Amino acid sequence: MKNAMGIIFTDRDEYRLSQLTQKRAAAALPIASRYRLIDFTLSNMVNAGIINVGVPTQSNYSSLMDHLGTGSEWDLARKNYGLFILPPFVSQGSMTGARGDIDVLYGILPYIRRSSQKYVLLADGNLIYNMNYCDIQRFHRDTNADITLLYNHIDPAGEPSRYTMLTVEEDGRVTDVEERPGHTGRTSAYMNVMLLEKSLLEALIEGCVARGEHDLVMDVLVKNTNNLRIFGFPYRGYVGRVDSVESYFQINMDLLDPDIRRELFNPNNPVYTKVKDNVPAKHGEWADVKNSLIADGCIVDGRVENSILFRGVQVRRGAVIRNSIVMQDSYIHEDCELDCAVIDKNVHIREDVRLVGQPSYPVIIPKGATV
Amino acid sequence: MKPKRCIAMILAGGQGSRLGLLTKTLAKPAVHFGGKYRIIDFPLSNCVHSGLDTVGVLTQYQPLELNTYIGNGKPWDLDRNNGGVFVLPPYVKKERGEWYKGTANAIFQNAGFIEQFDPEYVLILSGDHVYKMHYGNMIDFHEASGADATIGVIRVPLEEASRFGIMNTDETGRIIEFEEKPKAPKNDLASMGIYVFTWQKLKKYLLEDEQDEQSSNDFGKDIIPRMLAGGEKLMAHRFDGYWKDVGTIASLWEANMDLVSCLPKFNLYDREWRIFSRNPALPPHYVAATAHVQNVCITEGCVVRGTVERSVLFEGVEVEEGARVSDSILMPYTKVAKNAVVERSIVDASTVIGEASHIGSEQSNCGDFRSDYCTDGITLIGSNLFIGAGVSVARGSMVDRNLMV
Repeated sequence: MKNAMGIIFTDRDEYRLSQLTQKRAAAALPIASRYRLIDFTLSNMVNAGIINVGVPTQSNYSSLMDHLGTGSEWDLARKNYGLFILPPFVSQGSMTGARGDIDVLYGILPYIRRSSQKYVLLADGNLIYNMNYCDIQRFHRDTNADITLLYNHIDPAGEPSRYTMLTVEEDGRVTDVEERPGHTGRTSAYMNVMLLEKSLLEALIEGCVARGEHDLVMDVLVKNTNNLRIFGFPYRGYVGRVDSVESYFQINMDLLDPDIRRELFNPNNPVYTKVKDNVPAKHGEWADVKNSLIADGCIVDGRVENSILFRGVQVRRGAVIRNSIVMQDSYIHEDCELDCAVIDKNVHIREDVRLVGQPSYPVIIPKGATV
Repeated sequence: MKPKRCIAMILAGGQGSRLGLLTKTLAKPAVHFGGKYRIIDFPLSNCVHSGLDTVGVLTQYQPLELNTYIGNGKPWDLDRNNGGVFVLPPYVKKERGEWYKGTANAIFQNAGFIEQFDPEYVLILSGDHVYKMHYGNMIDFHEASGADATIGVIRVPLEEASRFGIMNTDETGRIIEFEEKPKAPKNDLASMGIYVFTWQKLKKYLLEDEQDEQSSNDFGKDIIPRMLAGGEKLMAHRFDGYWKDVGTIASLWEANMDLVSCLPKFNLYDREWRIFSRNPALPPHYVAATAHVQNVCITEGCVVRGTVERSVLFEGVEVEEGARVSDSILMPYTKVAKNAVVERSIVDASTVIGEASHIGSEQSNCGDFRSDYCTDGITLIGSNLFIGAGVSVARGSMVDRNLMV
């Protein structure tokens, strides 16, 4: 992707992720045994040849910073550009908390101005998909668009009210943008990825700030479908949008499907993450694992079905884990039983404990707890 | 530049000819081990954990894969501003260029490299062993005892002692006699091929050794006996942990199997002493509903739909439904197709074992491939091969070509 910089948003208040995001930004949420959400968007950018990526952060950003480090896992520890983690800049006269993404962008405006790329790709870090962003840029040029929005088709019978819905004409022109419209029968859901020229973005940010506006969707997109050439580019592959505990749970379970896995982990577009140099996983004498994803560093000696185990998880003999997600370094002791549970990092589930939830309402055990 | 207290030199030029096909296109230190490692990861990781930040890797035989693997040393934290890891192949000098004639000659030819860092001590390692050892303790011991050379030794069963270089020591641990592969060993302390030398002393003996036309320019055969004869103080430093030469197909197989048991003989779980390696960017491994996996070491990118027992699976391995793999090592990106059986075998990288074929069976059905390299009933299938459907390969075979029934 020539001449473009990337900006990844890492947190939004509206995500209903309960305890899972109490101590971390949404984009830092662990997913798929060894990744964090942001790995997918960041790897998409890197695989498209973007070498200047800004990651503005708002609060609870220590786990995100720890994860991204210098950016070297994504080959973004560079002399020219690379990865920029941009914590909130608070000074006299500036506001202390960002109310919307316009405020976040205004906070990093000096960084945006300093960058020499012509285009900016803005993306939310809570979606997982594997796509070549170069396709968006080609489309953007071909249609002579001011702003190109990425969207995918969703089932209108589902629950569209959570998304920003687009009305896209046959030629790709976006004629209407509605934020969480309820059941309107619209099927084009905005993926919170937009491409535009940097000069236009700078003008839009300044215009919004001058008028006391805060929101990229409500104040820029919704109001400008007539004034700007806004186009929509459809993405037809698998998209996982992590915006609730339920979707988080479901998307992890989606990864047990080999077709979805093949698409997300396309060897030509690898997904990079922080390397931890764990020992290979061990299945012991009493291990009985079915339909599960297991990361390196795990020692499994119990029964695991339809589950996702992160790096360094231990499952002792007699323990049974079904339909569950167990995050890094948690320890499931002898004869426990877990069903529809999300176990956060460094949790101990002691002997004989039984935790049973529902797919729509999994039991969540917060980071570091002992049950 | 600030002088270094000690730098490490890893002898990685050996062919490892007893590993047969496994070292056809790569040097022994680049041979895969333990699910995600290569042999050289062990000395490199030991160096970093021991506080050594400057490491020369001397290569000669088939160095390309090893060079790429080491790269800039980042996976081992050896991308340093002052020091780091350096690959040192033989080079052309003013009048002539020459290959490394022996282990001592390899160091002699790189004396100029060592001098750049002006070290007090030089640690000489081989890239042939898997073990976890704190070299810092050995260097401290060397310094405290005022030795000119200190040799790492390990107890071996007396009946096997004649396969090793044996150190006969006095009660203080000073080496009084060194016997290379003695017929009647007097002692059970075997050299591990790990040496700390005081650099100025070593330099003197390397120069002398070069002038001796009869010398084979080898540390064990020439330098150590010469130093003993010269009355230098040589100390033995005992190591008690797991240490294994993985120089033969049987010993490589056995060392891998040491990782499979529930309480492994070779424990790699120490967080403070992680073995670093170059990681592939692959998803976690997937175990399907049709799979049975027990006593297995398995890593990222693997997909298992069949039965796997007491085995080590490297990255990207696929075992299809109905296939049975036991007591085996499957190197990166190998594939075992439906209903195939792999027993007590090593399958090298990117090889496909076709449907319903049988590796390590009673008898072959397409030619005799039995080999002296494959002892203990172990079967070795080379890399990038295709073993067709229904092929049987007898145990003890070494297969270097595609097979069809």
